[in-house]
Amino acid sequence: MRRGLAAVFVGGLLRRRAASALSVLAIALGVALGLAVQLINDAALAEFGRGMRTLAGDADLRLAGPASGFDDALFEAVALHPLVADASPVVDIEARVVGGDTTLRVLGVDVLRLPAVQPGLVPRADDGTADAPFAGFSQHGIFLSPALAGRLARAAGEALVLQSSAGPLRLEVIGSVPGVAGQAVAVMDIHAVQHAFAMAGRLSRIDLRLIPGATPEAASRALAALLPAGVVAMTPQASLARDAGLSRAYRVNLTMLAVIALVCGGFLVFSTQALSVARRRAEFAFLRAIGLGRRRLAAWLLGEGAVLGLAGGLLGCALGTGFAALVLDGFGGDLGAGYFAGIAPALDASPAAMLAFVALGVLAGVAGAWLPARRAGAISPAAALKAAAGDPLAAAPGWRWPGPLCLVLATAACLMPPLAGIPVGGYLAVALLLAGGVLSLGRLARLVAASCPAVPLPLGLARARLQAAPGQAAVAAAGVLASSALAIAMAVMVASFRDSVDQWLGKVLPAEVYVRAARGSPALQLTPSVQQRLAALPGVARVDFRRHDQLNLDARIAPVSLLARPLSADGRELPLVGEHIVAADPVWISEALVDLLGLAPGDGLDVPLAGRAHRFTVAGVWRDYVRQGGALMVPLARYRELSGDQLANDAAIHLAPGHNAADLGAAIDEAFPAIDLEVVSPGEIRRRSLRLFDRSFAVTYLLEAAAVLIGLAGIAASFAAMAAARRREFGMLRHLGLGRRQIAAMIAAEGGLTAASGALGGALVGGAIALVLVEVVNRQSFHWSMDYRVPWLSLSLFVVALVALAALAAVLAGRLAMSGSAVRAVSEDW
Amino acid sequence: MLEISDLSRRFGGPGGRTVLDHVSLGLAAGSYVAIVGESGVGKSTLLNLVAGLDRPDGGRVVVDGIDLTALDDEGLTRWRRDHLGFVFQAFHVLPHLDLLANVALPLWLQGRRGRDADAAAAAMLDAVGLAGREHGWPAELSGGELQRVAIARALVHRPRLVLADEPTGNLDPARAGSILALLRERVREVGAIGILVTHSSEAAATADRVLMLRSTGLEPAS
Amino acid sequence: MGRGGLRMLWLIAALALALAGAAEATDYAPVTPGRPLVFPADAGAHPEHRIEWWYVTGWLEDDDGNPRGFQLTFFRLRTGIGEDRPGRFSPAQLISGHAALSDPALGRLRHAEKSARASGRLAGATAGHLQAWIGDWRLEAQDDGAIIARAAGDGFAFDLRLAPSRAPTLNGDAGFSRKGPRPEHASYYYSVSGLAASGRLTLDGRATTVRGVAWLDHEWSSEYLPEGAVGWDWVGLNFDDGGALMAARIRQSDGSALWRFGTLRSAHGTTRELPPDAISFEALRHWRSPASGVNYPVSWRLDVGDFALVLEPLMDDQELDGRASTGAIYWEGAVRALRDGQPVARGYLELTGYGGRLRLGEGSPGR
Repeated sequence: MRRGLAAVFVGGLLRRRAASALSVLAIALGVALGLAVQLINDAALAEFGRGMRTLAGDADLRLAGPASGFDDALFEAVALHPLVADASPVVDIEARVVGGDTTLRVLGVDVLRLPAVQPGLVPRADDGTADAPFAGFSQHGIFLSPALAGRLARAAGEALVLQSSAGPLRLEVIGSVPGVAGQAVAVMDIHAVQHAFAMAGRLSRIDLRLIPGATPEAASRALAALLPAGVVAMTPQASLARDAGLSRAYRVNLTMLAVIALVCGGFLVFSTQALSVARRRAEFAFLRAIGLGRRRLAAWLLGEGAVLGLAGGLLGCALGTGFAALVLDGFGGDLGAGYFAGIAPALDASPAAMLAFVALGVLAGVAGAWLPARRAGAISPAAALKAAAGDPLAAAPGWRWPGPLCLVLATAACLMPPLAGIPVGGYLAVALLLAGGVLSLGRLARLVAASCPAVPLPLGLARARLQAAPGQAAVAAAGVLASSALAIAMAVMVASFRDSVDQWLGKVLPAEVYVRAARGSPALQLTPSVQQRLAALPGVARVDFRRHDQLNLDARIAPVSLLARPLSADGRELPLVGEHIVAADPVWISEALVDLLGLAPGDGLDVPLAGRAHRFTVAGVWRDYVRQGGALMVPLARYRELSGDQLANDAAIHLAPGHNAADLGAAIDEAFPAIDLEVVSPGEIRRRSLRLFDRSFAVTYLLEAAAVLIGLAGIAASFAAMAAARRREFGMLRHLGLGRRQIAAMIAAEGGLTAASGALGGALVGGAIALVLVEVVNRQSFHWSMDYRVPWLSLSLFVVALVALAALAAVLAGRLAMSGSAVRAVSEDW
Repeated sequence: MLEISDLSRRFGGPGGRTVLDHVSLGLAAGSYVAIVGESGVGKSTLLNLVAGLDRPDGGRVVVDGIDLTALDDEGLTRWRRDHLGFVFQAFHVLPHLDLLANVALPLWLQGRRGRDADAAAAAMLDAVGLAGREHGWPAELSGGELQRVAIARALVHRPRLVLADEPTGNLDPARAGSILALLRERVREVGAIGILVTHSSEAAATADRVLMLRSTGLEPAS
Repeated sequence: MGRGGLRMLWLIAALALALAGAAEATDYAPVTPGRPLVFPADAGAHPEHRIEWWYVTGWLEDDDGNPRGFQLTFFRLRTGIGEDRPGRFSPAQLISGHAALSDPALGRLRHAEKSARASGRLAGATAGHLQAWIGDWRLEAQDDGAIIARAAGDGFAFDLRLAPSRAPTLNGDAGFSRKGPRPEHASYYYSVSGLAASGRLTLDGRATTVRGVAWLDHEWSSEYLPEGAVGWDWVGLNFDDGGALMAARIRQSDGSALWRFGTLRSAHGTTRELPPDAISFEALRHWRSPASGVNYPVSWRLDVGDFALVLEPLMDDQELDGRASTGAIYWEGAVRALRDGQPVARGYLELTGYGGRLRLGEGSPGR
């Protein structure tokens, strides 16, 4: 390092190695998590977007219909429309591999029409396969994108057996789709897909290239008259934005969690810098005396914070990039949450994102050093020079900012509507709650101290110190409060969510046995004959068949799920929330549609069925944790009457008395050997759902653990610094006759009380943040409500463990700092 | 030239304790005086006022024509940086800087860096009898040696005024004599005004003139 | 069987399909001698046969007398794929269109192509009367017997009315046209010469009225070329005096003729099949394509027994380099015929197999 004033300040960081390292680590952790989340999202979104663009190709406009498709007669009229230069029909289905749980996306295309509109999808036949010249028309061949071929471990020439509507369909892999490297898709002849997957005479969408000079808007208007209800025209960009929007809330949520971790890092910098400034009071006074300006001193201390932030930022960048690469490799682009299933994103470490997060790290360091630097600037040199070594007691910041004001502002922020689907007000409220909590810590510490008994002596001494200098406790406990608030908020939110999901599953899975043809896919269905035979099986008392579809209700929102099942007039089978009415032609909407379409019970809603719009009346709102994009529920009989569609996707079977699920499962397997029906118990679905739930929250547990570690590190750093500064005090106490153990007990008590203040504050703030997460953030991000539930037992255990750990950390840090020399320290400067 | 005129300082607001009451003193360049007095009589307060670390309730401190009481905080800081040298009882040698860096610190504050500053600091260390110890660390030094470093630091930038507050308070008598002699010699050498505040008569005896601070003002010690 | 790179390409495609076994189960209608051709029914499509084409070529002159050649072709291919299940996207019948324009002012061909599954108004070929279409391209006989030929590509478009002046000329044995030593290598093949063309030609957005003389070939088969064929030379000529001549030879790799066939129509309207021995092609001048490096014999001496003709191209560069798309590279363009140094006929000449053996390349459907 260049010799100069930098040696005075930044050199000092090296002297306080442990504390500096902790600060750097804390910031690095926040930066690493933030950057990792960002990079993972970027990679996933980029691949998602690239995939969407490849699939859309050069299309200027896309006509998209429900998942069950629309009449392919539309194609001729559209393709011959004067504004349309080229048109490419697509049948887009999800197919299941026989004998496995794997599903794949199969696009049925016309290879003659692809090159002009979607060149990226043009398949390439493998020369070794038999059908090479006319492979694109093969009825038994399938092309796999490199990503899908890798996932299925199938090479050209090998067989792939898919579950078709007529039983297992044996296909040969005859080539690849080189243009969509990162996407897991298969391409087949459109005619073959239509017939194999119950889409005969139907299309999923038509991608269009317009004649030169025609705008998508003009073409949309001109084509509108041709389009049946439920088929919407949109640009591929709009469609991309619409689909990417679905995962945005999830991505923003993760980023916010990372930012909160970074904030915790900032608090740790604050703790260590505040204590370090207190310890170096005399040093600063001397420097001031020999001519170092007030502002320059503050600037140098901010520089120290910036150096810590920079080091943390750089380290965090390295960690975050590595972590992101690891996660992308192991879990995919959505951390297992399922938003980006079917794509294999590659990490693209963008310098801009890295720079931004290093800057955030520096910002956290500078922000943490801000108040201590200001305090250092305000030191009166004349007074400070007299006391050779400063006791942080005197220098701890006094908190006079009104914490309650922050709480009031937080309440106000909760009332803000979401901005572009992001609950900005909710996040603001979280930040305000954290700030308010930290600002109220001094008061809280005094309360905690006052409630602590004054005997035995070490406890009394600890209590007296806390009461005399609550500001010091505030400094030490700020990190604990921030981190425990985060942990507790997440714990309460996750518990509330999990509990609500659990109850909801109970409500939506009333039957004893469930039979489904293919999850989430319209390609495989229970035909009327299968339905009849199912109902006639021995042991079956009643079967409720259910039909799923995806509808385009509105070009502005992503496709909405349609569910049809037998329902009572009052919808009592549904997990209804809020008021509901009895309507003549009822539809029950999920909570998401209340937010997305502004609907309420009593409102009319046009639902496109079989190409025609039918007006239903919203009879009530139901809770749905599965379909974030929104779902409609209509009575099955009414659906069949209006659509003419007699198929079903799954069946809920109520057993007759004296029969059990296992026997029925065996009977079903026996009755339908050719159809790969999945027979599951509600218990199994429940287990599977909750496992999926737990997995998608695994990353938040990681963040919590990181935050708590940071908080504990803060306590340890604070007490190490304090113990070093208070060696003379301890020496004096030893002179007065206090035993080593008693001093240790005193430090432990101080640590415990400090941590208790932080944890208590954290519990209060965390509870409030959880409320914000449940009522505002989740509601606005994902459009679902849940019941607030506090896991009292585990939270109590957590707080007790935290306090105990903090006391232990304090003792260890204290012992390390005053090892042996306490008695001698008394005479040192006296 | 240092002129102190009618300097007053009270603590604790109206009705508080008056520590200095219309104290006056004039010192020519090259003077080296000791100020003695009982504990609490206001020796340190006087020193702080002369150093511009504290502000008087009345009176003026003028050094070489500059009225310190008229300077703002910024001005005082700059003035101290350029014209003042300090020696403290507690040394205040920064433990994480080597000896050369500690001595060069005032030069750094003036924005002087590099070879020139290092050479001046090394020369100063040489002058206080620590030649060759430039890259030693404060932790390796005895109290007397630490104070030698402090003296070198107080004089390295050739100040107009050197203030020493009980410079031997933390030293044993055997070492104290040589430190005081060194201080006096070096202050003379740079031609600065030296003010030595002490309660030790042995220390005071090293000065050209000894002044007794009483509540009534500064008087020549008998 | 006739001329043309695209035709050969399609034949080879059909061959590949047959070899691949994809069409093995398909029962293609055979080509047998003695089946009388009936009009207008046989002017329409024969979807039970594997392959079929309608090929219109001709000379056009604008009001200023500038000569240009044009060509419009519709192919139909029965793939044998997916015939058991009907549907709008069934690949059972594929339709392909190809259009080209020879313009000496530009010095090279303009051309365009389209392919689609036969489906409704999008693409198809009607049985029973002449009607083939793909997108807005069309070849269709009207009630008065005139044929509408309409196509458009990058920078060119034509919309022509082709009025017949005579009955179709049946090639080979009353329309049964052999392509090799073995009788199964044969097609049904007739030509309509002396079509009076009139209509609009649009070049780079500028429309002009044009008139001229054109030629229609219609051929269908289920068989492919005899083994050993590497290419062919074909010419069809409308004589100014009302006569017409079609002559072709199928070449082997050593350049010798594997098979020769031709039909001569006199000015009076009498028609006779030329014996193979009477037909002789002799290259007079070659032109090397600067783009592909292929050397084409663009000028010929053609001897048909009774007389000899010299064939001179309208312009040298009438090469179609489809290696990037269809995989075929060939020469197909307008030619003049001279007899004793005097121009006596105008027609089209097609030279294939000079750029290496025709091969199904990267650009064929599905590749």
